[in-house]
Amino acid sequence: MAIADVKEYCHLTPEEVEQIGAELDAIRAEIEESRGDKDAAYINRVITTQRWMAAAARIGMIVSSPMDKKVRGPVLAASTISLGLAKILENMEIGHNVMHGQWDWMNDPEIHSSTWEWDTGQPAEQWKHSHNYIHHQFTNVLGYDNDIGYGVLRMAREQKWHPVNLGQPLYNALLAGLFQWGVALHDLDLEAIRKGKKDPKEMKRQLKQIAKKGRNQILKDYVLYPALSGKQWKSTLKANATANFMRNVWSYLIIFCGHFPDGALHFTEDELEDETRAEWYLRQVLGTANFEGSRLLHVMSGSLGYQIEHHLFPDLPSNRYPEIAVKVRALCDKYDIPYTTGPLHQQYGQVLRVIHKLSLPNKMTSDDKPPTGVDITVEHGRRKAEERQQRRLELGGWSRSAS
Amino acid sequence: MSRVGAAGPGTLFAWDDGVLVKATVTRCALSRVCGACGGSLARPVAFVGTAEEVGRNAFHAPPLHTACAEDVRRLLDPTWETVLTGGFEFVRPAKHDEDRRPTFVPNSLL
Repeated sequence: MAIADVKEYCHLTPEEVEQIGAELDAIRAEIEESRGDKDAAYINRVITTQRWMAAAARIGMIVSSPMDKKVRGPVLAASTISLGLAKILENMEIGHNVMHGQWDWMNDPEIHSSTWEWDTGQPAEQWKHSHNYIHHQFTNVLGYDNDIGYGVLRMAREQKWHPVNLGQPLYNALLAGLFQWGVALHDLDLEAIRKGKKDPKEMKRQLKQIAKKGRNQILKDYVLYPALSGKQWKSTLKANATANFMRNVWSYLIIFCGHFPDGALHFTEDELEDETRAEWYLRQVLGTANFEGSRLLHVMSGSLGYQIEHHLFPDLPSNRYPEIAVKVRALCDKYDIPYTTGPLHQQYGQVLRVIHKLSLPNKMTSDDKPPTGVDITVEHGRRKAEERQQRRLELGGWSRSAS
Repeated sequence: MSRVGAAGPGTLFAWDDGVLVKATVTRCALSRVCGACGGSLARPVAFVGTAEEVGRNAFHAPPLHTACAEDVRRLLDPTWETVLTGGFEFVRPAKHDEDRRPTFVPNSLL
């Protein structure tokens, strides 16, 4: 079912879809025109805070090493938490958003999408392809968007069930705990490799890049900093592993809450080339889900609690999403378009339910997705082979060669 | 960074025989890679276009490295001009647009 068949999704006329597009364009223009010093001060403040948190954590681990055990314990615990939070802040609100180009307008040589390298296993270059392009261009389109299950989980009823899916609860726990390494392999496109469609030359180049980045990450957290703690190297190593685990689980949770709660739709698409800007906007709204929470929760989530707004305007500064959200929600109410949101625990509860239900064949479970409009229910069953589109080859065989 | 060098127009990442490939242009915009060599962009970002495109600050050609911009001009159209910017907006075509190609709007000209 193509997004162009909008009536199937949300009972809108083509004219209404274009009108929504025009209103979203106006929201975008307003932010672009008002972008300035206050926004720059925000990102600089977040980066400064993050760096102090990381530095305090590293210093805390080193200086506490010769201390008495009674003192060392609390200092180490505080340092571990500080490092975990610093890594979360760096990956989510800073790295993810900088690499989207949200702050390129500042023309700051350091805070720029072309120069930022983040504190995680995946090389920035590969992230910008797998996330900025594949995920944001083909959001929730089955067979295109590799974020649907990260190549290991069945997350949509339209995806074929296989007995191996019975292990989903276990794979899910492993993915959460090892998320940075799951993401590191993301641009390799495991499905394409399994099917032999991956360009071997590109795969080799990417693996080399991942190995180099992964090695540096491991050296930093598991060799260099522990070595600086002398005899207490084991404590520092464990603290760093814990901080990485904190970051992994949090990033996984936030990312999964963005696209798999009940209200977020998946799409099957035969042709994306002719999608208009308004249709693209609409697919972003229908395929994403927000969560509610305090300002601090949103900052620590990379502003991905405003996932709908982020998908509509991925390159606008994240600190502006709260004010954009008010307008987008009003727009959705005006046109009676679903605006999926709820508390974080509710959204993640729905994600867990999807993961567990889809570990079983469709006939053994019921579909929890709500109707998309008055008297409109989209069937989420598996399509016959002849009805499904061919997989987009460029996802597996992306290369630097000329088109 | 540029690997276009003295090669012909056929080596340009986002062009096919001198004509822009829409899907690759989108890929360049979002992946933030150079439209000429396919490598990660650097700062500043360069755009090339006609005097009219420079005048309205909206370009059809994808972002480029500064060195690659010179190669593109040399290989495709020496009359094109180059502008440098810190960042850009990627604007998808709307239904009512006669020209259904996406455009790039530099947002911090240097």
